[in-house]
Amino acid sequence: MKYRKSPVSSRRNTAVVLFLLLALAALALGGCGSSAKTTRVVRVGFLRNDLHQLAYYVAREKGFFKEQGIDVREVGQFNAGPEEMSAFSAGDLDIGYVGAAPAITFAGQDMADVKIVAQANTGGSSIVVRPGVEGNDVAALKGRTVAIPGISTMQDFLLRTALKKANVDPADVNIIVVKPPEMLQALASAQIDAAVAWEPYPSMAVAQNAGWVLMTSQKIWPDHPCCMVVADSRFIKANPDTVRRFVAAHVKATKYIRDNKLEAVDLAHLYTGQDPAVARNAMKNIGFSYLPEAKLLERYVSFMKDAGVIKVTSAPAFTRRLIDTQFIQGGGS
Amino acid sequence: MRKWKIISPLVALGLWWLLAGLGWLGHTPTPLAVIKGFGHLVATGLPPGYHLQGHVAASLVRVFTGFAIALVIGVPLGIFIGYSKKLEAAVDPLVELIRPIPPLAWLPLAIIWFGIGLASQAYIIALGAFFPIVLNTVSGVKSVDPRLIEAARTLGAGPRTVLARVLVPGAMPSIFTGVRIGMGIAWMSLIAAELVSVQNGYGLGYMIMTARDLARYDLLVAGMVVIGILGYLFDWLIRLLEKRTLSWR
Repeated sequence: MKYRKSPVSSRRNTAVVLFLLLALAALALGGCGSSAKTTRVVRVGFLRNDLHQLAYYVAREKGFFKEQGIDVREVGQFNAGPEEMSAFSAGDLDIGYVGAAPAITFAGQDMADVKIVAQANTGGSSIVVRPGVEGNDVAALKGRTVAIPGISTMQDFLLRTALKKANVDPADVNIIVVKPPEMLQALASAQIDAAVAWEPYPSMAVAQNAGWVLMTSQKIWPDHPCCMVVADSRFIKANPDTVRRFVAAHVKATKYIRDNKLEAVDLAHLYTGQDPAVARNAMKNIGFSYLPEAKLLERYVSFMKDAGVIKVTSAPAFTRRLIDTQFIQGGGS
Repeated sequence: MRKWKIISPLVALGLWWLLAGLGWLGHTPTPLAVIKGFGHLVATGLPPGYHLQGHVAASLVRVFTGFAIALVIGVPLGIFIGYSKKLEAAVDPLVELIRPIPPLAWLPLAIIWFGIGLASQAYIIALGAFFPIVLNTVSGVKSVDPRLIEAARTLGAGPRTVLARVLVPGAMPSIFTGVRIGMGIAWMSLIAAELVSVQNGYGLGYMIMTARDLARYDLLVAGMVVIGILGYLFDWLIRLLEKRTLSWR
């Protein structure tokens, strides 16, 4: 095909391309401009239907954030931690409730500049085994197919820790990745023999007779860190007082959950739409404490460092830099 | 004309390099980082030990199985729907009702029906590829000039001969269009198909999601580029096949 373009139309095309480029540049520049003024408005993200993050829901429902005079705006509900952390990367979140694993991963890859300002929960995971698998200890997993939610997740680490304690070589276990909602179905149809997941999935598996709890994560690694309250470093710098107020509301909510277990279960039911009986069981397995323990987090950071998942030179130094507990007042945990 | 073909990829690459290099795209990796990431995927693998070659092989099996199912069911069904007004009236509402539902939405059901293995992955991919193949086949059959069919009948051709000698050859160009679009959507459905689980630890979609979970955007983009190149190669192969088969035109 041969045709000749008129010089006018080609000049017009160039103009259009130039215009688009300029528009793109303007957009990119516009995205960079952010004011450094202090604010009482907090853009918050959290994980949908995650019982570990109940304190957020309680603080919101009980008006603890309002008491502190801060304006919490829910700008993101996420299905998974990595998505929430990428929102931190984009500068769309100030504070978020998220798992320690994705927070450490993104901070360790310099993909997000965040600090852990408080802890949301400890424990809260379990190894669930399908009916029909013989044996009632971790050694029974030898030669079996066990599902984890992702590579280098807390559940991956918990499984490896449990196997090590039981003297089972992880190479003798077929570890595969299955997303937690589908674990139940895979257990029920015997496509996997066991699964490691966070609550409420283990309790749901039990309620549906798809499995029984072989070991809670509390048994595998007592008081292990799980979900965290994470804040953007620039936000902390610009608005330390707002962060302090947010953390105070979170601490109050965490204590409230501990002191009002029954009401907390009801709130959990409202928050996740979960069956109350399942929520009650799930809550037994979750510890609510707000003070992050550097020693425990460091153990997990070391695991990720050794797995080559994060590029940090020293696990203790990285962990110390990551945790910022100055906003937690009055001690306790 | 040939040299024009490399313009759009080169411009895109240049823009990407420029904007990512200037840091205007947040944490987007530069093309150089992605090339290094590609090397990492080949040499080390993601997760370590699971190399790119294995991911490509596993995904090829899934895409081919799903695509083959879509082809084997889609083309004959499309021909019959295009041939019979009654069948079209009977089937069309259902096709149009199911067509807009994204493959991802079928995922939980697919797992209940077929488990977490190849069957459910092939189902998701087949579902994506199926509709463009059926619809283009239908429109191809309908586009055949009725006078040609009449002429064949006058010359004593039975329904089978009309189908095999007039309708199918006449619909071929359109069928090929459907096959090309279907193949593209098959690759697009791969991430959905491998999102929940892969039993053997291999798959390009699974690899990309793992890269996301581990915040390795260089590896993530390298995986995207691999899918893009594979999709391009297959489109090129189908066009080559089309040229060969339709050389009579």
